[in-house]
Amino acid sequence: MKLPQAQVAVLNAASADEEQTTERIAEEIDMDPAAVTRAAFELEDEGLVEIVERTSNEVELTEEAETYLDERLPELRLYEAAVSIGADDESVQLGQVIGEAGLEGEAVDIALSNYARKGYGTIDSGEIEANPDADPDDDGEAAALDAIDEGNVAYQSDLALEDLEKRGLVDRSATTVRSILLTDEGVTALMEGVEAAETVGQVTSDLITSGEWDDVEFAEYNVEADAEDLTPGKTHVLRQMSERVKDVLVGMGFQEMQGPTVDADFWINDCLFMPQDHPARNHWDRFALDNPEQIDELPEDLVDAVESAHREGVGADGEGYHSPWDLDFAKALALRGHTTSLTARHLSGEAMGELEPPKRFFSIEKAYRNDTLDATHLLEFFQIEGWVMAEDLSVRDLMGTFTEFYEQFGITDIEFKPHYNPYTEPSFELFGRHPETGEMIEIGNSGIFRPEMLEPLGVDCDVMAWGLALERLMMLVTGAEDIRDVHGTLLDIDYLRSEEAIY
Amino acid sequence: MPTVEVDPDELRRLTGHDEKDDEQLKEDLFGLGLEFEGETDDGEFELEFAPDRLDRLSVEGVARSLRYHYGDDRGVYVPNTNDADWAIRVEDVPDERPYVTGAVVRGLDMDEGALESLIQVQEKLHATMGRQRAKGAIGVHDLTMLKGDSLEDDERAKSVTYTGIDPEGDTMVPLEGDAEMTLAEVLDDHHIGQEYADLVTEYDTYPAIYDEIGLFSFPPVVNGRRTEVSAESRDLFIEMTGTDQWTIDKMLNIVCYALDARGGKVEDVRVVYEDRELVRPNFETKTKTVDHGDIETTLGIDLDPETVVDLVERAGMNAATEETDDTVTYEVEVPPYRTDVLHPVDLVDDVGRAYGFNELEPRYPDVSTVGGRHERSRLERAARETLVGLGFEDLLNFYLIDEEQNYERLGIEQDSDVVGGGEAVTIQEPYSEDFTMVRSWALPSIMMVLENNTHRAYPQDLAEIGLAVEVDESENTNVAEHRTVAAALCHDGASYEDAKARLQAVADAFDKELETPPTEHPTFISGRTASVVLDGEDVGVIGEVHPEVIVEHDLELPVAAFEFRLDALE
Repeated sequence: MKLPQAQVAVLNAASADEEQTTERIAEEIDMDPAAVTRAAFELEDEGLVEIVERTSNEVELTEEAETYLDERLPELRLYEAAVSIGADDESVQLGQVIGEAGLEGEAVDIALSNYARKGYGTIDSGEIEANPDADPDDDGEAAALDAIDEGNVAYQSDLALEDLEKRGLVDRSATTVRSILLTDEGVTALMEGVEAAETVGQVTSDLITSGEWDDVEFAEYNVEADAEDLTPGKTHVLRQMSERVKDVLVGMGFQEMQGPTVDADFWINDCLFMPQDHPARNHWDRFALDNPEQIDELPEDLVDAVESAHREGVGADGEGYHSPWDLDFAKALALRGHTTSLTARHLSGEAMGELEPPKRFFSIEKAYRNDTLDATHLLEFFQIEGWVMAEDLSVRDLMGTFTEFYEQFGITDIEFKPHYNPYTEPSFELFGRHPETGEMIEIGNSGIFRPEMLEPLGVDCDVMAWGLALERLMMLVTGAEDIRDVHGTLLDIDYLRSEEAIY
Repeated sequence: MPTVEVDPDELRRLTGHDEKDDEQLKEDLFGLGLEFEGETDDGEFELEFAPDRLDRLSVEGVARSLRYHYGDDRGVYVPNTNDADWAIRVEDVPDERPYVTGAVVRGLDMDEGALESLIQVQEKLHATMGRQRAKGAIGVHDLTMLKGDSLEDDERAKSVTYTGIDPEGDTMVPLEGDAEMTLAEVLDDHHIGQEYADLVTEYDTYPAIYDEIGLFSFPPVVNGRRTEVSAESRDLFIEMTGTDQWTIDKMLNIVCYALDARGGKVEDVRVVYEDRELVRPNFETKTKTVDHGDIETTLGIDLDPETVVDLVERAGMNAATEETDDTVTYEVEVPPYRTDVLHPVDLVDDVGRAYGFNELEPRYPDVSTVGGRHERSRLERAARETLVGLGFEDLLNFYLIDEEQNYERLGIEQDSDVVGGGEAVTIQEPYSEDFTMVRSWALPSIMMVLENNTHRAYPQDLAEIGLAVEVDESENTNVAEHRTVAAALCHDGASYEDAKARLQAVADAFDKELETPPTEHPTFISGRTASVVLDGEDVGVIGEVHPEVIVEHDLELPVAAFEFRLDALE
């Protein structure tokens, strides 16, 4: 039979005919008493030992009692002195006897109060008598004190102990003492031989399927020690942020748009009523393509309508721009400077056919700016683009939508700074309170699309829209300070490995 | 965003609001859409402004807007002008720059501050409406230095002449110069000339303005020194040339309004073209019809017509109410310095600003729609989750790259028939030589990340799902775009088998049958390279990266990788 080390030791120390306390066994085999008790219970579960529990009374002599071991009890000394002066014949003066006994102080009172109680005689009006039949050598309390001193507590009557306790000569307390006795099965097991099982480090498949796990002891680990560093696969932190924003927008009823990265300036700018000589459309800001240069085809009717809006405006009182408009420029290809090109493609029906209000759409895709790189600007960034198409939208609807959206990210107290965009009116820059620093910071750009944009696209209800950079929102939410750490090939892998999850 | 510098003391003086402290001024300016950006060394406010209200490019214009905002001024203000004494004759001008306009302003009490403001408004107008002087350029001259020719039809009138001359045809001393120079020499040797030379070098004849004494201005490049304006100048002659009459007329109005606010008296100038004559500045107002219902709908509140008229007047315009049985409309008169009013919605916006947009209570639109992800975006998410589950670190790299990184360092040639070998989609005039094209595959980006992280712990198992493009004439945009799935294992012992095991797991996750017939690809070791064939379609490549490519990227460990089209998992 194989048993864990501790159980083997306890089993070997136990006897079949003599109960042994766990304390004693612990001392004998040099083990922690608690471990012995634990092993004993495990052995009892296996039927190898029997555990007898006793409540034992511990008795200890007080300091006062210790002194009486030498000096004897004061009442005995009083009796002996009284007999020696003849008080067993006739009463004598108490003071004379006390002097003869050599009693002083407290001992006098103790002697007097116990003398009569224990039948050594009487004391009355300053006179003392001794009982000639009393035998001080047969004093139960003195004998009990001697016995306790010698360790024979078990043989003392409860009554005697009670008297001693009342006199303050002993302290009593109760403890449970467990004793172990081998059972027949235990004896048989020992005769057949008991081996200590090995301690087990790794739990193996073999150990589990063989059933051996029942016989082994698992080595204790230092469960507080540091474990190795892991580098799990993780979704990129900016992608996590994008997922989070998409969750919010889908939850608000927005449907996702996708579309071309390389597109004609027509879709990127002309459809947005951006004049062709607008500073943002000059070659410095724009990622114009060298190869290929032009889109093959644009929808002709739409081109005419857009050109007319640029030149003449729309509506009875409309005016156009005093700017040139050229089809070749409209057909020129570029990397989209904003994802509002997707909005133009959707509103015009080019992306998925005519749209009927109400609609909500969004996209989180890359846009491109031909600019220098710094801590907050990259050539490529993710634009969160969102718009709502419905009858009779007001500035209040726009405000309410943003308030709801930004609150999801802890950004509150939204303020609206009246602003100018060529394709929206009214237009607002959005400012909100930073969730950590409490500062007011710019968080987006928004507005209601102008009729010069919507009419050519064939939309005859209202559309309100907004955009902001995903990176900016991420920096606000995570506190990241340099966007170059996050996006691009200069990235430090340890940054991705250490970045907190976004949820 | 452009900025305009404004002295707060001057603002207090011009608005007549000495009691406003700096903080109050900043707050009031924010309400106008002028955001305080910082202070100059001289303690002037730097204000960021949106380029719609160009009439606020000067301290005078900002002060005017504030006075309306405070309710000190109401309605349209149009300065009275004196009749013309001067004319600009237009003769044989360059075809590319046929338009000119002008005005005279007399009796100015200029000081340094006023001169500074005048220079600033010119600069800012050049930068915005003037499109860096290409569309419109301003010249301001000290009138007393001009000697006018008399006009044929009016002996008393004095005139200057806008014309075109040969680049070598005449000379003048330019501003900040001290010698006579031909116009060609100005472009070559004068620092202002060099800066603006591109605007005129293509012209056959160069724009030039003459008075009786001779050549005094070379628009749009530089004025002559003779007529230079100083703080002592009292009477100014202003001319503007450009490619569009409306644009330069509006620029002129903005400058004249600013000088009027300085106490100058504006005087008309006749602009005599060969076939027509204009009187400038043109201070005619224009009128647009605004529907009361449109105002209420846009602001989302109910307003009574008296309030609307009040708000219009506080925006510096006039409104006449016209009521019928079921409609209320306003005839809104717009002052001549406004350049941004193209449609009645612009006037609705002005009413909103005067009301105060931040006074409006936000409300969530009572419009029900069903949200959802685009199918490709869902596919991309599922593929990314699969890769991350396989232990790959998800990367996000730039889609812009250069030819050397995209092709050469991976050992492939542009326009070759291998994965990543498509014809490059390239950028015109890139800022940086590191970003000259859009990548044709993602493995080069992953190799760059490995290259930049050799000091970090291995294994480095990296993956990316992102854009890849190539020139494709069968597409309308002539560019084929797709999402690519790329992954690389970089650690001791990384092998083809490891890569294939993971690729197989991805294929299984999307219920695609994977075959890997041998192929050749210069990025990978020959004999350890296969095509990725999913459900019978060749969609990518897998293999052990060639040591030449590994060494090229300063790596010391093997790399096994695969890349294929995301849409193959659909």
